[in-house]
Amino acid sequence: MSGFTDFWAGRDLWRDPMIAGVLAGAVLGYIGVFVVLKRMVFVSAALSEISGVGVAFAFWLGAVLGIDPHAHGRIPLLLEPTWFSLLFACVAAALFSLRPGHRKLAPETIVGLGYIVASALVLAILNSPRIAQEAHAVGDILFGNAVTVPRQQIEALFSAALAAVVVHAIFFKELLFVSYDPETAVVQGMGVFRYELLLNLATAIVISVATRAVGALPVFAFSVIPAAAALMLTDRIRLTIALSVLFGVISAAVGYYVSWVEQLPTGATMVVIAALFLLPGLVKILRRSAV
Amino acid sequence: MGLHRSIALVPTRPLELIRLERAVIGYRTPLLPPLDLAVRAGSTLGVLGPNGAGKTALLKSLLGLLPLFGGRRVLPLGRAPRVGYVPQRDRLDMSWPLTVLDVVLMGRANLVGPIKRYGARDRSAACAALQEIGIGDLGDRPLHALSGGQHQKVLIARAIAADPELLVLDEPTSAMDPAAERMLLDLVQRLKAAHNLSVALVTHQLTAIAGFATDVALIDHERGLFEVGPAEQMLDPEKLGRLYGREVRVAKVGGRTAIVVDGEGGPP
Repeated sequence: MSGFTDFWAGRDLWRDPMIAGVLAGAVLGYIGVFVVLKRMVFVSAALSEISGVGVAFAFWLGAVLGIDPHAHGRIPLLLEPTWFSLLFACVAAALFSLRPGHRKLAPETIVGLGYIVASALVLAILNSPRIAQEAHAVGDILFGNAVTVPRQQIEALFSAALAAVVVHAIFFKELLFVSYDPETAVVQGMGVFRYELLLNLATAIVISVATRAVGALPVFAFSVIPAAAALMLTDRIRLTIALSVLFGVISAAVGYYVSWVEQLPTGATMVVIAALFLLPGLVKILRRSAV
Repeated sequence: MGLHRSIALVPTRPLELIRLERAVIGYRTPLLPPLDLAVRAGSTLGVLGPNGAGKTALLKSLLGLLPLFGGRRVLPLGRAPRVGYVPQRDRLDMSWPLTVLDVVLMGRANLVGPIKRYGARDRSAACAALQEIGIGDLGDRPLHALSGGQHQKVLIARAIAADPELLVLDEPTSAMDPAAERMLLDLVQRLKAAHNLSVALVTHQLTAIAGFATDVALIDHERGLFEVGPAEQMLDPEKLGRLYGREVRVAKVGGRTAIVVDGEGGPP
């Protein structure tokens, strides 16, 4: 009980990161249903890394121009890492919407290549002698830390989440149709590319902003685990979405609390808590297999 | 000025819904020399050919899903006809958490228009389509709990819910036993009559076409072969023999046309 008392006493410290985690858990829980059903889980990891390249590029550009993008308040708007992060993620999302493929390379291979090259680029740029002294600050901006989250990032995350939810609410039937059966949607005269682009851009913006706020690992986990857990429990799309959002929110809140009380890494603890939601579904599968 | 009597012109139904003129079809490279093909109003076009012959490419070109390398796609109605499309069912993921009604409602998506939600009218049209197909009791059933035949019927119900002028079916009877195949084709015939539809059907199964299609297109890009004409002319042993590279016999059995491809021997 003293653990909770201590935790409550320190609420001024954890309120903002908790809000960020819960927001990320909720919106990624929603988007994750589409990510998992469309079999594009690697796209979310790739978008996270590619948006990281945008941040690293902003620092590299700042170093070249002699401006420190991390020095808040006096950087030109155009050098703001968030803009580069969003720009890179959105361009990648638009390219993924073109369903890139090659005679010998499946689209998932190309997404994988995007992930690998982006990861390497982030490392290469961060360790460039020009910006090495700022690497720690860049690392926090790149992949967050879920422990301290600036108010500005919460606002950005809230705006991104709101935009994504509004897009999904307005175009739900179209997004569902083009995601489930794009071929028939085209025949029936729907602009499949338009809706794929909308879906991927909404995903890219949320992933890009959430990665900065709570870190790459929880973002990847929240966009896969809650949806996977929900899909194992129900065969109704709306219930799947509701459960996935609920699992995302609980994972973030309980994960933050446990990490505080047990002095564990915050992002990793959130992921472990999220993974617990897979258990009921796994038990269900095991029971079915045993029959 | 004398009196002018207006003459009421009775609108005549255009003879064709879609026409390909000197069309060069293919995915990355052209599959065949330029070809002409039309879907006539009220007709049933059967597209027949061996596996990998280019049937689906032809269908996609007809529907405007695949750009042409040459020639043109003409829409005699002045607009694309409303199409009810039944894709190959193994291309769809049965693990999605959707009910039968969710899937059939998708057929209404373009009729409803963007932003708007499905209304009572759409739900009633979807339920009516399910009733008509004979699976009215399955509306609430999850996709994964359907048999292959039921899934096929759900896709047909979705196509009918789209209020189509042209019903297009891509390999609808693949992996079906002969009885199920017959029932499905009878169902399509019934829907065609009830909704005044034109039908285009792609298949590699000869029995599916005989006695069903009014026009038949034979296609095989390996042999550079494309021919189209009335079914009675196209279901000819010599033409089918060229298509399959085997001897083919066509016989009437119990009022139906039976087509047998011999196991040995080259083209006649």
